[in-house]
Amino acid sequence: MTRLVVGPFNRVEGDLELTLDIAEGRVAEARVATTLYRGFEQILAGRPAADALTIAPRICGICSLSQSMAAAAALRAVSGARPPPNGELAANIAHAAENIADHLTHFYLFFMPDFCRACYADAAWFPEVAARFKAVSGAAAQDVLPARARLLHVMGLVAGKWPHSLAIQPGGVTRALDLGEKMRLIAIFGDFRAFLEKTLFAAPLEQVAAIATPEQLDDYAQGQGDFAAFLRLGKSLRLDELGRVALPLISFGAYHRAQGALFPAGLFDPRAGEARALPVGAIGEDVAFSFLHENSADPAQAVTLPNAERENAYSWAKAPRLAGEPAETGAVARQAVAGDSLIRALIAKGRGIPGGTHVFVRVVARVMEIARLALAAEGWARELRLNESFSEHAPAPVRGAGIGMVEAARGALGHWLSVEKGLIQRYQIVAPTTWNFSPRDARGIPGPLEQALVGVETGAAGAKAPAIQHVVRSFDPCMVCTAH
Amino acid sequence: MSVVETFYDVIRRQGITRRSFTKFCSLTAASMGLGATGAAKVAQALETKPRVPVIWMHGLECTCCSESFIRSAHPLVKDVVLSMISLDYDDTIMAAAGFQADAILKETREKHKGNYILAVEGNPPLNEDGMFCIDGGRPFVEKLKEMASDAQAIIAWGACASWGCVQAAKPNPTQATPIDKVITDKPIIKVPGCPPIAEVMTGVVTYILTFGRLPELDRQGRPQMFYSQRIHDKCYRRPHFDAGQFVEQWDDENARQGRCLYKMGCKGPTTYNACSTVRWNNGVSFPIQSGHGCIGCSEDGFWDKGPFYERLSNIKQFGVEANADKVGIAVAGAVGVGVAAHAAVTAVSRVTVKHDDKAPPKG
Repeated sequence: MTRLVVGPFNRVEGDLELTLDIAEGRVAEARVATTLYRGFEQILAGRPAADALTIAPRICGICSLSQSMAAAAALRAVSGARPPPNGELAANIAHAAENIADHLTHFYLFFMPDFCRACYADAAWFPEVAARFKAVSGAAAQDVLPARARLLHVMGLVAGKWPHSLAIQPGGVTRALDLGEKMRLIAIFGDFRAFLEKTLFAAPLEQVAAIATPEQLDDYAQGQGDFAAFLRLGKSLRLDELGRVALPLISFGAYHRAQGALFPAGLFDPRAGEARALPVGAIGEDVAFSFLHENSADPAQAVTLPNAERENAYSWAKAPRLAGEPAETGAVARQAVAGDSLIRALIAKGRGIPGGTHVFVRVVARVMEIARLALAAEGWARELRLNESFSEHAPAPVRGAGIGMVEAARGALGHWLSVEKGLIQRYQIVAPTTWNFSPRDARGIPGPLEQALVGVETGAAGAKAPAIQHVVRSFDPCMVCTAH
Repeated sequence: MSVVETFYDVIRRQGITRRSFTKFCSLTAASMGLGATGAAKVAQALETKPRVPVIWMHGLECTCCSESFIRSAHPLVKDVVLSMISLDYDDTIMAAAGFQADAILKETREKHKGNYILAVEGNPPLNEDGMFCIDGGRPFVEKLKEMASDAQAIIAWGACASWGCVQAAKPNPTQATPIDKVITDKPIIKVPGCPPIAEVMTGVVTYILTFGRLPELDRQGRPQMFYSQRIHDKCYRRPHFDAGQFVEQWDDENARQGRCLYKMGCKGPTTYNACSTVRWNNGVSFPIQSGHGCIGCSEDGFWDKGPFYERLSNIKQFGVEANADKVGIAVAGAVGVGVAAHAAVTAVSRVTVKHDDKAPPKG
């Protein structure tokens, strides 16, 4: 048995370190360490409740709007504010733009470049993929970066500045859009659709969103476009056998409207193939292997205090558990919970393997979601009624407790807030990658990535094995959110 | 990677045309306020000077600076600057990984000793011997000191590297410390903001790489060309401030009319940055245009200057330019809400008087 340390990881947000025990050319055990801690939960306590809107989003420069949405939702849960339809629509539009941008960055800049490594040079798909996706020199970046920048003009129109927008408030958004701006939003989504239909999908969005079975996906994979190119190489490399994990999939629900959410909250268990309501009260955080002092497991009661000397600890991240069990979150969970038949089919059990997620389905779910979201956002922009209010007056909360639950691009994000005399008494953040990259818990149960890495073949390449990179990146980690 | 390669060589190698290159030079010269001959100067420098390597390091941070940087206005600016700095080392977007990445870092350091620019995003936490930010198995602060020792100059990106930012907010659990408190023997240029504006970032990089020196800095170490004016000085809502017309609630009638956000907590009158002129997301907007006040994210200590949703109670003076500079310096001393309210009333009456003066005689 040899022990390898992999890190620093590039092309992930923030710092990550893996410790892998290798036996007979395969990973026998993995430990995932978040090596960065800033203390946001300590910093937020004692400040005026509304200031969470400016401090909390700065946890992350990549998913800052999701953090902002969660902070606003937590304040809303305490004060009882109710945004008007325009406020919800505008926030959803901005949130969709951020999440789509994240998915694009992940696919083009973080995930695909690993397939351009020299070790794949003999594969039939290699010349095409390397020309498109090679880091820094690949042609795809020239297409995707301008399209992404143009999409993010949405943030300018709706939220002023991004990252770290300020416009999302408990009662709605601060920006009332006028007709010219509504037209610009529609034009931006139109341009973005053109990019997707030409470059990423090479097919109409409606046609992509309608793919409902693995067989239809196979048919689509014979066509043009970057997504089809991925599907082909995914098949040939058997990415559906890589990084497998069988854990409950959770979603906190995203893009809320009065009539319900586009992607509802819930739980889907791929082992049994069944969906359930999400038992929010069963969420707890374990710190047995974290550099933190022992504290209440309930996020509503916990106070975070670092303990750099803690014995056996190896990560700054906590270990979130749902009824004592790790859970996976992200686009694959969101789509499985929402009832997407393609995603459910791809994670279903078959041929002697239990149901579960894998590298292939995590990426497919993310890219398919781009199509769904782009379609929805286009519709939301058209639905804005400019003569109606964008924000309800929401008095700052004085006393009470609440949870702000949203879906960031990477999955379930919750802010647990309690307010006393107008000041923040406790603030706990459980981020998507905290779930996915959690360390072991007191019972010794490893987190989702730690489980997904076990059995991965490293061969002679050891820590440099590309399979390790594929598994880690298939979760699209955001390490700065993880330990905050 | 040849040492004598010029920027222009690199740019051409990246497939950027001559025409695009000259366009980039004029755009950049204009954004830096270099005047009529500026474009030619930029072009000449890029064609003849050897490329200066840039190392981009990440400490305790949130990656918002990188995120801002890769979306700079003209797609070309990004391309050219990316090729210029070529990201010899950047944690977030570079191709290499792990040990290979550390090897590149070491190689650049040795090969370009005393010549490279070190761009730092985030800052080092000093508590617990730097354990709150471990990079490649050792504290970031060590890596930072080591890389700084052979650098020509250091760019401190954003509020974290410049001042500390939110992670340094009370009680500053990790003792997050700005770069200039750790590195004291190198020229440091601070480019504050959370994050800084993309065009400000590319402007700074281009200036340094073009002219081989730092642009003119103010007393706090910020480039004067971007940080010499307050948001308030060039705010498009300024006339409403002077007229005493304020938003009282989000999306109220005053908000719909684009009135001043001072009463909603806007920190524009005490914040030095280019947001109201350069704007954000390719010049589309900036926080005040989104109907939310400025939170002063480019100012030292902004994170502990809340509440963010109550009006500034410590402005000494406004509406009168003679005291503009004092405002920025005087923010530390609290003067009281009364003064501000009084001044607002004064501003209203001043406008009224003017109006009366100009009213044409009737009858």
